Amino acid sequence: MFQRVLIANRGEIALRVIRACRDMGIETVAVYSQADKGAPYLALADRAVCIGPGPAVDSYLKYQRIIAAADVTNVDAIHPGYGFLSENADFAEMCRDCNIEFIGPPHDAMRKLGNKNEARKLAKAAKVPVVPGSDGLITDEAEALKFAHQVGYPVLIKASAGGGGRGMRVARNDMSLISGLSSARQEAEAAFKDGSVYLEKYLEQPRHVEVQILADQAGNVVHLYERDCSLQRRHQKLVEESPAPNLPRKVRDNICAAATRLVKSAGYFSAGTVEFLVDKDNNFYFIEVNARIQVEHPVSELVTGIDLVREQIRVAAGEKLRFKQDDIVHRGCAIECRINAEDPADNFRPSPGVITKWQPPGGPGVRLDTHACHGYRVPPNYDSLVAKLLVYQPTREEAIKVMRRALHEFIVEGIKTTIPIHQKIFNTSAFVEGQVDTTFIERTFLGGA
Amino acid sequence: MADEQQPSAGPFDVNTVRELVRLMRRFDLSEVNLQDGSKRMRLRRGTSQPIAAVPSAPALMATQQAAPAMAPQAAVTAPVSNSRLIDVKSPMVGTFYSKPAPDKDDYVKVGARVNPETVVCKIEAMKIFNDMPAGVSGTVAEICVQNGGFVEFDQVLFRVEPS
Repeated sequence: MFQRVLIANRGEIALRVIRACRDMGIETVAVYSQADKGAPYLALADRAVCIGPGPAVDSYLKYQRIIAAADVTNVDAIHPGYGFLSENADFAEMCRDCNIEFIGPPHDAMRKLGNKNEARKLAKAAKVPVVPGSDGLITDEAEALKFAHQVGYPVLIKASAGGGGRGMRVARNDMSLISGLSSARQEAEAAFKDGSVYLEKYLEQPRHVEVQILADQAGNVVHLYERDCSLQRRHQKLVEESPAPNLPRKVRDNICAAATRLVKSAGYFSAGTVEFLVDKDNNFYFIEVNARIQVEHPVSELVTGIDLVREQIRVAAGEKLRFKQDDIVHRGCAIECRINAEDPADNFRPSPGVITKWQPPGGPGVRLDTHACHGYRVPPNYDSLVAKLLVYQPTREEAIKVMRRALHEFIVEGIKTTIPIHQKIFNTSAFVEGQVDTTFIERTFLGGA
Repeated sequence: MADEQQPSAGPFDVNTVRELVRLMRRFDLSEVNLQDGSKRMRLRRGTSQPIAAVPSAPALMATQQAAPAMAPQAAVTAPVSNSRLIDVKSPMVGTFYSKPAPDKDDYVKVGARVNPETVVCKIEAMKIFNDMPAGVSGTVAEICVQNGGFVEFDQVLFRVEPS
């Protein structure tokens, strides 16, 4: 087992990994930018190293400094968290070349699955249904138009190197397809240094259902069932839950089996998530694999009792999974609300600043994953997630009641948060009845308050 | 330490530990890790300060006698500081070397005159050595890091009296 691990991340996930390591008796080295200097969670690591100024590109993405810090502090492994370098296969490879284990998947599998187009090919080969799409990258307009006429509008233009909801635009007719193509290419080139795009049929009002998988280096793959993440705003998830409400048992079994098949065929190990879209007839289609631990991983931890970060570390250290698929039982219902430092009354404008009052919720069935606290200064340089509020109950109905109570208890002042929008969601009948899709937030709340 | 009594001297025997400590002192080692199956022991030598947790305001690194790399960095309050002094800070993370080679002299000593191109130290990261220019003109007033010490981004390496 590792003796010392460096966490190449910040905020709540850095704290999550620090905690997992401490539970396992592993020493921790945290890295921080000058914008995160003095953050209270850093004191919970055994050591903290400054790696650059605020902007992520000069600090958390500066892999040379991170590896240098790892080298000099003599760590055995690096945990990349999510975002930043977590799906950078070159970084993963570099770590391993430097004899520092990367707590995540093998870099080859990451490369394969990280390229959305390649992942589609893998899925087809593993008999996993995919959204009807262009077989390969789109190189000219004629090709694009031909595809669109074949599958019918609307179509989705997607960046091959994109992910996390970025690099996508919808085209509803020939004109918007042609103009959308060139814009999408430009944006992809700027954001991902790779302007290649492909097309998919755009499913109207689908549900987003994803499967948490876990695999060891000996080829054992299990799934921890599904999560429904349909509640999104601009492709950023707001609420996630497990089980997916109103999903027929057979469909769920098939989705989980498909996810496991795909991941196995890619030679993958560590934690990962396979994302699907589910249409109104409960047909499911693979969209992408997230080859990392995800923000919403605690949802699956609560319903299965498995500590995913701990398992990632164990897998990376070469240990085999101690459980088989039959040992993993899904019990109860877990729901997570992402609490962001944003003002829902002002188009979700980011709201950095000092937290002047912090009164977190508690009680049975409530889990709060956060790096924030009273007096914490939310920096403006990074994503706005300040806390993940989770509830876990035997039924969805009870979970919703507990979440309402928890949201009511949760007082934050000094910054604006998305707590009010969550309170609205949990009092909307469509959500309570489990009848939501990925357009729900925008339709119901019209992009604002 | 071993839980069971071992009849013969194993790695976790008191006499062995004593000998290891002696060797560590003699060869200026900072850390020795031993593992025998599930038994583990770590001997760490250095100051009794805790490993640096959260550095507060940029602090001067005290010159220290402890071994390099894993030695805890002591954050001390600045001495009566001359606000005219310019901080020369590290632009990277790595190991600080005050001399071009172990058998050579330091690049600069206190009192040395420097101009912006003068190489004052080198910082090694991932086996690549980067020469660090002073970036200022003046006289070296303080050298803030020990040869072989670990430096993080923006850490003060030298303080220079500008001319």
